[in-house]
Amino acid sequence: MPALNRLYRDYRDRVEFYVVYIEEAHPIDAWQLSANLTDDVLVATTRTADERYQVAGVCVTKLGIELPALVDEPDNRVERAYTAWPDRLYVIDRHGVIAHKSAAGPFGFKPADVEATLKRIVEPAPEGTQDSRPH
Amino acid sequence: MRVRNPRRMMKWVLIGALGLAGAYAVLFGVVLTAMLQPPGRFGQFMKRVPAGLVWGALPAPRMWLWARRGDLAPGAPAPDFTLPRHGGGGDRVTLSAYRDHRPVVLVFGSYT
Repeated sequence: MPALNRLYRDYRDRVEFYVVYIEEAHPIDAWQLSANLTDDVLVATTRTADERYQVAGVCVTKLGIELPALVDEPDNRVERAYTAWPDRLYVIDRHGVIAHKSAAGPFGFKPADVEATLKRIVEPAPEGTQDSRPH
Repeated sequence: MRVRNPRRMMKWVLIGALGLAGAYAVLFGVVLTAMLQPPGRFGQFMKRVPAGLVWGALPAPRMWLWARRGDLAPGAPAPDFTLPRHGGGGDRVTLSAYRDHRPVVLVFGSYT
């Protein structure tokens, strides 16, 4: 997440960023990971919009996410449209066209590729105007 | 060690090798089928199967990348959506509202 927070700070004056909180990857009632047990990251599958909204808040806080967050609906409609589970990165250009789609996470989750795409499609910030304020 | 009946031994070696290859093919097929299921169903599958068997015995990362490749490709229009913004006091964000204005980076993920 630090790499994405840095990208957000570097580009947020020219690019919109959103975390889209989707269905949990390793909830306690399904494929629980021992690493999550050790780290006390224990979350059940969210069934309602309220539950999902609540866990999204925990996610944003605990992971130190500076980007604004959206919350997918309980029917996972956006996750399905983007084949986004368990995690995935997209860059949409200013014409609404997909400029970059990462491979499926966790193996394909590479923020460096997002940065390379942004360098290609976004005008450089004028000297001295880059927005580096903390969130 | 002296082998009394080499042909008989070869037969059993061959049967063993074929059995192992068959078991591997079945495991490969079952896991790949599970990877093609919706996330919730795949999660329930992984709950019941030793993770070491999947990630140790199979080329699981490559299988996963193929199974989760999805239909969208660079150059295609991004599917539109409207979702609630966390902490936005009921605000909803529509992706297409940024068309002709700004690029958008979408970071999909969860807590776990």
